Amino acid sequence: MSMTDGPTPLQTAAAAQAAEDREASSKAAGRSDLRQRGKRKSGYFSDRWHALSRQQQWAFLVIVVVLAYLLPLLNPPIITTEPGNNFALACFDMARFALIAVGLNVVVGYAGLLDLGYVAFFAVGSYCAAMLTSPDSPFLHIPYLWTIPVAMAVTMFFGVVLGVPTLRLRGDYLAIVTLGFGEIVRILATIIPAMKGQVGFQNVGHPPGTEADGTPIFSNSNGVPWYWLTLTIIIIVTLLVGNLERSRVGRAWIAIREDEDAAEIMGVPTFKYKVWAFAIGAAIGGLSGALFAGQVGFVNNQKFDVTTSILFLAAVVLGGAGNKVGAILGGALVSYIPLRFTAIAEYKYLIFGIALVLIMIFRSQGLLPARQRLLAYGRTAFNKVAARDTQTKDTDNPTAGPGTRTAGERGAEA
Amino acid sequence: MTLLELEDVSVHYGRIQALRNISFTVEEGEVVALIGANGAGKTTTMRTISGLLNCSEGKITFAGQDITKMKAHIRVVHGISQAPEGRGIFPGMTVMENLDMGTFGRKDRSGVSKDLDRVFDLFPRLKEREKQFGGTMSGGEQQMLAIGRALMSNPKLLLLDEPSMGLAPQFIRQIFKIIKEINNQGTTVLMVEQNANQALAGAHRAFVLETGEITHSGTGKQLLEDPSIKEAYLGVG
Repeated sequence: MSMTDGPTPLQTAAAAQAAEDREASSKAAGRSDLRQRGKRKSGYFSDRWHALSRQQQWAFLVIVVVLAYLLPLLNPPIITTEPGNNFALACFDMARFALIAVGLNVVVGYAGLLDLGYVAFFAVGSYCAAMLTSPDSPFLHIPYLWTIPVAMAVTMFFGVVLGVPTLRLRGDYLAIVTLGFGEIVRILATIIPAMKGQVGFQNVGHPPGTEADGTPIFSNSNGVPWYWLTLTIIIIVTLLVGNLERSRVGRAWIAIREDEDAAEIMGVPTFKYKVWAFAIGAAIGGLSGALFAGQVGFVNNQKFDVTTSILFLAAVVLGGAGNKVGAILGGALVSYIPLRFTAIAEYKYLIFGIALVLIMIFRSQGLLPARQRLLAYGRTAFNKVAARDTQTKDTDNPTAGPGTRTAGERGAEA
Repeated sequence: MTLLELEDVSVHYGRIQALRNISFTVEEGEVVALIGANGAGKTTTMRTISGLLNCSEGKITFAGQDITKMKAHIRVVHGISQAPEGRGIFPGMTVMENLDMGTFGRKDRSGVSKDLDRVFDLFPRLKEREKQFGGTMSGGEQQMLAIGRALMSNPKLLLLDEPSMGLAPQFIRQIFKIIKEINNQGTTVLMVEQNANQALAGAHRAFVLETGEITHSGTGKQLLEDPSIKEAYLGVG
């Protein structure tokens, strides 16, 4: 912009800069507008969130988590899905979707790989749990809880198997191949005799433990323990994924999403990191699948169609691709809406379609945009910058106004 | 000492041959320009050197090592860094984060702050905008960011793909001065340019690419005075 107009001899870059600064002071309005544009990406909630002190953030999180755990017991009047659907089971379903969305968010949100066949990993996880615990299965049987790591490992393996050949493709091609993969898994489940097609597997295992009267704690009809288990897993997975996001891996993923070629010539082994994203996303999908199989107690080939994949994707996009909190919210909503409003459940795809169109128009980054903690080291870089700012603040911060408080200042208050 | 050597390099896009047996060298400490019209294969050459494209034939040697089969992200570690055509910055990252990405392949974290100072000395504008998103900056600033980011890996060889593309004339002169400054600081520069006048004036040596082949070579001055070059690329004659 202003750099290009007017003569700015580069005798020394500093001289040019001095000229720039004179010019800039007269254009402060324009510049603050630019900053605003930059800021707007982060959205209202993340601004509010970052304005809180560390203690306040923790306190808020603790309250949210406690409320989340209590949700099926509180069964709040307006929120509840009853009488149409058992609320505890609905909570489990929401948690299951949220977990899937967290996994898919790694693939789609962080690494920017459009996966239209994510249900395949969910299916693999479900079948793992079913075939290793159901009495209908001829395979060896192991305790249900062991199937969770096994399911994750197997789906991770499938993630790599799918990823290695296909991640050389980009964009649309990758999307189509993953779409095909989703269908392949479903069709294999139909035609391979050992996977029992539509007949499926009954009495899939569940975690151990019985009530005083001898009925299992983790029964098919009681959603509460399942919900608690899944919620706990979500919290663990979110923490792990959050750490990844803030690490070198997260930086690499985001660079790949932004510009793959540029990432490669920055020294990012793009292929390796894409396969990692796929494998990690797959493992989380498989985990969710295993939980689903355990809760429902029955797995057949009917639950893993393309529309389910699209629904998963809708959850991520709706919540805000690239933001794990957004993904949880999106996943929970996509599951909740048809359960709550049973009268319109038939039209759920129509409603999601409309909702997505509206969201893309009015909030194209999703409900909770990714910038919140988009960059692994965003905060670190921000702090570095903020430290500079406080040193040179009097001279070099003409546009700082309310709302642009630096992390350093927040730290001081806290 | 020869830093980079291409020997009979050919590159194909499917069945279309984009480069035909290109051979040239870049000596350490030089600024070398590659000029040519649209579709001559300039960017292809750059992408082949940085490793984004594989050559179908030929050999590329960098600092005495055969890098023909080496992946792009490893070439960065060995000292080849590219500011890609069309700038190729990360639009959703801030200036600081973009620069930080430039250090991704580095093993010596200790040199980072020195290089950051160097980049901010060359481009004071970037320092001023360190918190701004790359995508919201002007073309010229994005170009600075792309070059700055490429320098953050402390390369031996800096590849610049059309550094003047889409910039105002005043700023083009400035960019070329900065390139010279970068070279004076000890970084070898290989650039691709359509702006032949400026490129030849600033380069020690230059090559002219036409439809995938090198047709002329010489010092920048020689090529500036070559009648056929004048006619074809300098708009004179």
